[in-house]
Amino acid sequence: MPKLAHVLARSGPKLSHVPVVFLAVLALAVAVPVLLTAADPLAADPLNALAPPNADHWFGTDHLGRDVLARVVHGARHSLSIGLAASLLAVACGTLLGLAAGLSPKWLDEALARSFDVLSTLPELLLALLVVAITGPGTVNVIFAIAIAQIPNYARVIRAQTFVVRHSGYVEQALTFGRSRLAIIAGHVLPNVLGPIPVLATIGLGQAVIASAGLSFLGMGPQPPAAEWGAMLSEARNYLRVAWWEALFPGLAITLTVVCLTVVGRRPQRRFEGRKP
Amino acid sequence: MKRLIPVLLLAVAACGAQPADSAPATTLTWAIETQPITLNPQLWAQNKVRLLVFNQFDALLSKAEDGSFRPWLATSWKVSDDKLTYTLDLRDDVTFHDGTKFDAAAVKANLDQFLVPGYNPAVAAIQLKAFDRAEVAAPYQVKITLKEADALFLDFLASPYAGQVSPKALKSAKDLRFGGLDLAGTGPFILDRYVQGQEIHYRRNPAYNWPPAGAAHRGPAHLSEITYRFLPEAAVRIGALSSGQVQVIEGVPATDVALIKKDPNLALQTSLNSGTAYSYYFNTEHAPFDDQRVREAFREAVNVDAVLKSVYQGTATRAWSIVGAKSPFYDATLENGYGGDVAKANALLDAAGWKQRDAEGYRVKAGKRLTVREVASAPFVRDRRDILAQAVQAQVKQNAGIDLQVKIVDQGSAQKALDENEYELFGNSRGDSDAGAALNLILPEKAAINRTRFADPKVDSWLAAASATHDQAEREKLYARVQRAAVVDNAIVFPLYVPADQIAAQKSVQGLGFDPASGTPASAYDVRIGT
Repeated sequence: MPKLAHVLARSGPKLSHVPVVFLAVLALAVAVPVLLTAADPLAADPLNALAPPNADHWFGTDHLGRDVLARVVHGARHSLSIGLAASLLAVACGTLLGLAAGLSPKWLDEALARSFDVLSTLPELLLALLVVAITGPGTVNVIFAIAIAQIPNYARVIRAQTFVVRHSGYVEQALTFGRSRLAIIAGHVLPNVLGPIPVLATIGLGQAVIASAGLSFLGMGPQPPAAEWGAMLSEARNYLRVAWWEALFPGLAITLTVVCLTVVGRRPQRRFEGRKP
Repeated sequence: MKRLIPVLLLAVAACGAQPADSAPATTLTWAIETQPITLNPQLWAQNKVRLLVFNQFDALLSKAEDGSFRPWLATSWKVSDDKLTYTLDLRDDVTFHDGTKFDAAAVKANLDQFLVPGYNPAVAAIQLKAFDRAEVAAPYQVKITLKEADALFLDFLASPYAGQVSPKALKSAKDLRFGGLDLAGTGPFILDRYVQGQEIHYRRNPAYNWPPAGAAHRGPAHLSEITYRFLPEAAVRIGALSSGQVQVIEGVPATDVALIKKDPNLALQTSLNSGTAYSYYFNTEHAPFDDQRVREAFREAVNVDAVLKSVYQGTATRAWSIVGAKSPFYDATLENGYGGDVAKANALLDAAGWKQRDAEGYRVKAGKRLTVREVASAPFVRDRRDILAQAVQAQVKQNAGIDLQVKIVDQGSAQKALDENEYELFGNSRGDSDAGAALNLILPEKAAINRTRFADPKVDSWLAAASATHDQAEREKLYARVQRAAVVDNAIVFPLYVPADQIAAQKSVQGLGFDPASGTPASAYDVRIGT
């Protein structure tokens, strides 16, 4: 997948706009899904089940006769909002913890940093699975699970940045001028450590979307009949041999979303790293 | 690779052969859908794992397709004129896998085991309700005395519950409730490996020479070893079969039936199950299903034919009664009596006071949404019943504004919800070889799985009378009354389909078939490989 992202990012200005356009359409699907499809994602028509793509149902119908296009469009809301909420939560908690570690006395910093390290040794999805196994399935639980799994990523970067900023001239200057610690943290440290966050968050969002689809595939996320891409894939797998369209479209939606998020996220990353976009 | 597999199998088979075992060594791998929750036949609860029980254990009698009984470990039996005393003559050449001799004392020990409080309360309360005592009349003759006549007692002696366990094992087994390697039986295969979530492995019992009357051969089983792999995913089972990783699978989803029929190397067999139809039982104790109009409306809101067609592609048999169509007690006069009338469903709900609708289109009464919950235990979900539930869910929502919530949870959580009365709908089918046994478990007021919480002394008395008489015609009449009361008069049940079992196998595997009593796959005793 990184290869594909690479090709997309490098192949001229026209092609590189595709991800942005796709993400815009996606945003539309999340905000006002009815603009993209008139069909009800939950309306079953059992007599018209497993119909191949046709004029009425562009993406065909699933095993209960529900419109696959409508389910993919409406599913964007579930899949993306889980990813987005999890990412925001992870950014917020990761920033706070990273900042706390970077500014704490050495023993506390060591303790926090080592616990980030321990959490980082577990693959994100595995850690999220562990959390869901404890809390039980459901949309909110999945959000927390993914967020917890992503926190160490952000916390480690923020902690490192905090070290740099903490020993910078302007912070030492502020200290000499006798400003309070809280004012220095809010006014000088925080704004200057947040630089890499947008880049990390864009890529992290893609990972969060994959994780949420993965957990939903395993039945941990939104429960049936909710349209969620991972859950749709899971339901469709038993019909792969007779109805390819039921699995193809949600699968494509997940893949394209993550690829596009990665491609779009690369640009600010390059800029941040001082390379040409 | 395909060519390599038979070679490998031969190699594995050769390793497994024992010098004392004169029959040729052959092995088979069979993928099954459901993992057993227990390997103890006396606690058996899943029809889907009945095919494992009679590998390891033998019952006292066996039941033929026509409902008659045939000798097995008991060579003959006599019932006294007052129907209270059963005298069984036993085979004298049978040994358990642990070397213990099978005799009248063993039969007594097995029956007495059910009297241990809490061992199997459901069986103690239903199938053995009339059981008084067992006595050793002679070394190979056992006398069983009942407190009252029970027409279902012979059926019990032919059921997995009557699978004979070594008395030594009953005393000393490490985990009696789960069973396992040390729970010795007398069956044609000896359990020698069980790996949770993966497989269960048996090897041939070389001493076996006591198959039930009606078996296709005598002597030890044809296969020297058999492995059952647990593959709960239908697509994985099909893939394993078509790629040759396994030779037999059971549980063939409707979507794959046509593909298997087309494949020249595979053969498919199906059989309807005995017992009760898969039905939704309404919890009549609290709202909203305490109102018969709501129960009827729920049934009218679903176009069962359309649902079955979409979920099972026309391979399922629609049920009209609580009793399955394979049973001699099935009351065919109930057919086409209800269902699929959406206008009637809405009129009934309006009349019951569920008139308003909320923003999502669900019906509301006094600020409360018309929500009903189905709690299902994952080990019992088979035949895509989860998808079936989703189809019903969509139908009742679209056609009548009923909010059906389906929760598939682990066995413990499901039991908790049922015990705490936190459900409105309960899906169940029973595989009992005599449908009367199932009705006794489901309908009487104090029955073990009376999930409808319905009570009608008339129904109880009909069921008791049917259990007491040995007159089949009389039983048929009484069970017809019971079915009418449950399905029509009180509408406490919503029959959906008659469960069936499918076996798909490579053509080289012979002797596969169904247990005539239950319609589920038979044990591996007669199975062989080759022409």
